[in-house]
Amino acid sequence: MNRGLAERFDGTFRHWSLWPCLGVLVALSVYPVLQLVPMAFSTLEIVGGQQTWSFTPRRNLELLLGDAVLRDSISNTLVFVVVSVAFEMVLGLFCAIFIACMPRWRGTARTIMILPILLPPVAIGSMWKLMYNYDFGLFNQMLRAVGIAPANFLGSVDWSLMAVVAVDVWHWTPLVFLILFAAVESLPQDVLEAARIDGASMWQTIRLVILPLLGPALAVAALFRAIAAFKAFDQVYLLTSGGPGTSTELISLHLNRVFFEQNQLGYGAMLSLTVICMIAASLSAGRFAAAKR
Amino acid sequence: MKIRSLAAAAFGTAVAFAATAQAQAPFADVGRQPPISILINSSPWFAGFEKTVELYEKQTGNKVALDVTPFGGMLEKARNAVRGANSPYDILNIDTQWTIEFYEGGTLTPFDEIDPAFALPREVLTYQDSNYWNAAKRWRTRDGGKLMGYSPNGNIHVLYYRGDLVKAAGLQPPKTWDDVAAICEKAGKPPEMYGFVTRGERGNGIRFDWMPFMIGAGADIVKAPADGDYTVTINSPAAKTALDRYVGLMKRCAPPNHGVLGQGDLIQLLSTGKALQGMAVIAAWPSFEDRTKSAVVGKMDAAPVPSFPGGKPGVVIGNWHFVVPKNLPAEKKKAALAFSRWFLTAGAQREYALGGGIPVRSDTFSSDLATRPEFRWMKAYGDSQPFARQELGFAEGAQVEQVLGLRLNQALIGELSTGKALNMAAAEIEELLKRNGRRTGRLANLPE
Repeated sequence: MNRGLAERFDGTFRHWSLWPCLGVLVALSVYPVLQLVPMAFSTLEIVGGQQTWSFTPRRNLELLLGDAVLRDSISNTLVFVVVSVAFEMVLGLFCAIFIACMPRWRGTARTIMILPILLPPVAIGSMWKLMYNYDFGLFNQMLRAVGIAPANFLGSVDWSLMAVVAVDVWHWTPLVFLILFAAVESLPQDVLEAARIDGASMWQTIRLVILPLLGPALAVAALFRAIAAFKAFDQVYLLTSGGPGTSTELISLHLNRVFFEQNQLGYGAMLSLTVICMIAASLSAGRFAAAKR
Repeated sequence: MKIRSLAAAAFGTAVAFAATAQAQAPFADVGRQPPISILINSSPWFAGFEKTVELYEKQTGNKVALDVTPFGGMLEKARNAVRGANSPYDILNIDTQWTIEFYEGGTLTPFDEIDPAFALPREVLTYQDSNYWNAAKRWRTRDGGKLMGYSPNGNIHVLYYRGDLVKAAGLQPPKTWDDVAAICEKAGKPPEMYGFVTRGERGNGIRFDWMPFMIGAGADIVKAPADGDYTVTINSPAAKTALDRYVGLMKRCAPPNHGVLGQGDLIQLLSTGKALQGMAVIAAWPSFEDRTKSAVVGKMDAAPVPSFPGGKPGVVIGNWHFVVPKNLPAEKKKAALAFSRWFLTAGAQREYALGGGIPVRSDTFSSDLATRPEFRWMKAYGDSQPFARQELGFAEGAQVEQVLGLRLNQALIGELSTGKALNMAAAEIEELLKRNGRRTGRLANLPE
């Protein structure tokens, strides 16, 4: 191959080598999302073995505006995301710094810390459901053993959402820990050394040196967790299925109910589109706020 | 009343044919068939079904693959199967409230299209014809309807109670809800022994387990759907009586987590001896007699669902349906029908009962099995049949269940008063029926 041809090949390769990925992305992500748009303004039915679409934008919009459970599910989801991500960030950061400071057994501690991520959500949901069980669960047996009345973790409107948040925090704090632990391990030692020589206390070092340096890692961890928490489904479905009442009904559960249990494909698509728009708006607002700062 | 008389007559006639049927060959010779696969739910009666399938394989040499799926995944798997080019399953098991979607969708094969000569044995219970579909009338009836499937399990509620403890307390077996409350008061010792339990979890659980109260109190969801009158009547005074009774019993006798009690919790409480009485489906029975899982073997008794004073038991049918998808090759459909023919024989149904299943042939209930102590549930089941009825047998059933499942649960956990919960449910059901073009309306609001 002559040199000019090789250079031209090298120059264009990076472009055309992207095409297969782009094709997969369009086929599996962009096309389905675009397909949601006409579906969101239609009513879909299967009659006589055939799928029929009828254009009913007003009907679907009326369903959206009159959906009382949707309002509860949005507020529950916001509480779930904010509380669970806040706890995960604080605990994850604490564990990352603590374990990074351990003189020995760091590898073992890190391995133990990440065990919950390795468990499938179905196993976690079942395990915690058993532990929360009012009559036979571990927590209430412990409470009874010390003379405290058993708690109605999953059956009380006041407790159930926080009980579900606790499971999410237990499951996903290790992910935050993992991201932050890697960031803590790669902190420039000369900066930390300079802080020590300057006489900074432990708290001052964390607040004025470590946290600012961890900023990008914290942002990434928070973003990852917020997106995942917004989509939380499996554990909550197994633990409470959204009940009692609507106290743990998250958007993902409501979507599942509309799409799959009620078989309202058109309205389900409109609901999905609304959720996508909400997430996109939140991310844009976050980026805008970050850019302004 | 007419429906009850017909049901009683049907059950009686079916029992009358029992003796003749017992004399027939116990199993059908279905010859060699291609392998089939069945989508089946993991339920308390599955063990009995599995043993029966093993016997089929042994007797015939034909192979059957079972895809055992939790309840939560059944509907989606069944939908995906019928919507694809080729169904991965030759027999689907669908719950009664899903049948309309599949019947109307035209995604199933009526049995006469597979074999015009096929007919269900007369002894097979048809649970108010939920396995027939009259497309013109959009209603499940054998009158002008096609045979779309049959029930592998005819779940109805019964009242389970600890016969030993009720007797020891000098009480009579419960016949009315007042009896249930009295037994709860006198013999219940919460938290060691709850007086009465039934499902309270949002969704299908509470909707299905409240219905015996609703039917027993003489209430309905809609007025006369078979005649096209979809006037919503769920906010009637009778329905409020039913809901007040249900909520009252649950609050007084069930564990504090009654708002999330599901089928598993219910069976667990009863089989561990932590509940004195419980209303659950008949399919739960094997769980109480299994020595590896139950602490109450030989101690549990069953009675028909209690009634209101002077009333009749409210028995709601929650049967499953074996159906054959349309998108299958002809030989697979024939193989599915061959299995069905064998499964519905007297011999297979007997083996099914012995394995822990709930048979669907009336002659099994009048056989020698009924006199054995381990089958003492059969009398309660048989006595309940004349009162059993289908609910939500219309296209909007799944959505109505969602509405009721939420509002009833909110009444149970105290978020709404019983009157308000029923008023809200009525308004929401009316709205969705109206959107679908039904002739509808609703009763005046109850006091909230």
